[in-house]
Amino acid sequence: MKSALPLLLMSVAMLGGCVTASVDEMTFDAPTAGMRDGSLVVLGRRHAPDYDTEPDFIDCIGGHISRGSESIYVIPEQQFVDSLYPWFEPRTAPLSIESVGRLMVLPTVAGKLQELNVSYMVWIDGRTQETNSSGSMTCGVGPTGAGCFGFGTWGTESEYEATIWNFADGAEVGKMSALTSGQSYMPAVVVPIPIIAPVQDTACESLGTQLLQYFSAGS
Amino acid sequence: MVERLLDSMISGPSAKRFYTLFALALITACSSREVIVDGSFPTPLVDPVPVSLGVVFTPEFREHQLVDDATGRGEVSWSVSTGVAQVQFWSTLLPAFFQNVVFIESYDDLETYDVDAVFVPEIADVQYAIPLYTNVKVYEIWMRYRLRLVEPEQLKDNDKKTLSLDNMQPFAEWPLTAYGKTPTAFMQSDSDAVNLAAVMALRDAGAHFITSFGRVPGVMGWLENPEESQ
Repeated sequence: MKSALPLLLMSVAMLGGCVTASVDEMTFDAPTAGMRDGSLVVLGRRHAPDYDTEPDFIDCIGGHISRGSESIYVIPEQQFVDSLYPWFEPRTAPLSIESVGRLMVLPTVAGKLQELNVSYMVWIDGRTQETNSSGSMTCGVGPTGAGCFGFGTWGTESEYEATIWNFADGAEVGKMSALTSGQSYMPAVVVPIPIIAPVQDTACESLGTQLLQYFSAGS
Repeated sequence: MVERLLDSMISGPSAKRFYTLFALALITACSSREVIVDGSFPTPLVDPVPVSLGVVFTPEFREHQLVDDATGRGEVSWSVSTGVAQVQFWSTLLPAFFQNVVFIESYDDLETYDVDAVFVPEIADVQYAIPLYTNVKVYEIWMRYRLRLVEPEQLKDNDKKTLSLDNMQPFAEWPLTAYGKTPTAFMQSDSDAVNLAAVMALRDAGAHFITSFGRVPGVMGWLENPEESQ
């Protein structure tokens, strides 16, 4: 019985780790000379009424690109938004590359973007959400200790789309999307053991890798 | 009282202590949430409007607090203090948006400083929503302001030598709405999320103010000739 327990736990853990991912890409005009002379910024869309693109997901994408290539400088999202306040708030953020032209009419904004040396802007829109859940778990506390018994499972789905704007050309140069889903489990015999499917991390990895390939194309 | 009640139900000093602490923790957890809005606000990137402006923050504005008492079982009382953050935010925004800004606190200030107009912001309403009430996984804050521009002379009570807002007749008065939201996040408390939503709402108020100021009726004419309003 004792020897069967680790095997059982390992098989459950292996099942729980499964995440499916699909990535779609439509890009053109990749940087031919690499990103050596410019910087890029990754921004999250926050204007939908019922969700926000998570700031930690944006940090994850930015970190993935930075770590992948030393020649690419990614401006942190909060630093960029604060230095251009109030022009990239949910109310005022440009929804198309054409709207950026209207912002560039303001000398202070144009000057700041030039100072930051922004070559590309990547907008990420999407979210991670729970799709279904089932099972039940009972927890109790007594004078001699506490414990839980039961089993719970839930599904998670991440759907993100990245839109790339080229600042120098004033054009949208590509779109990429990542759709990942997975099932998490939590068996509990006295102690609950969460087996979490890394759905959002996989989406970050997939989308980040695609973006990194695009921006490293010429280097 | 809780301890006496438990005395009759259980025995043993350690168990009694445990249940007392557990019951007290439950009572505390269900009672209220208090948020003192705190955040950092960036200086806006704008070309300053070429006017000299006085600003009056009333005591109601400085000490603004939203209080929502629980009315039903399972609900939690909320107290959200925005006053300090309001003053911090507008004190950052206004000096960057106008060429010259002075904060007016007394009759003597009005006598000393030569300003084109005095700006008097007022918080008309603040509302909040949390996922517990809406089933949407975002925390939200709405703010509604009543903003006024007044000729400096109208705020002077020359008989009592005091600053008075009682008889002012603004040459421009307009409402300003702002909205902030933040998604639910792992290991983030309700209070932290409401604080973040309030900070977002203040930032939105600034964005709305800056982008709409020049189009407000009464302001457009004043901007063309600021001296004339005096």
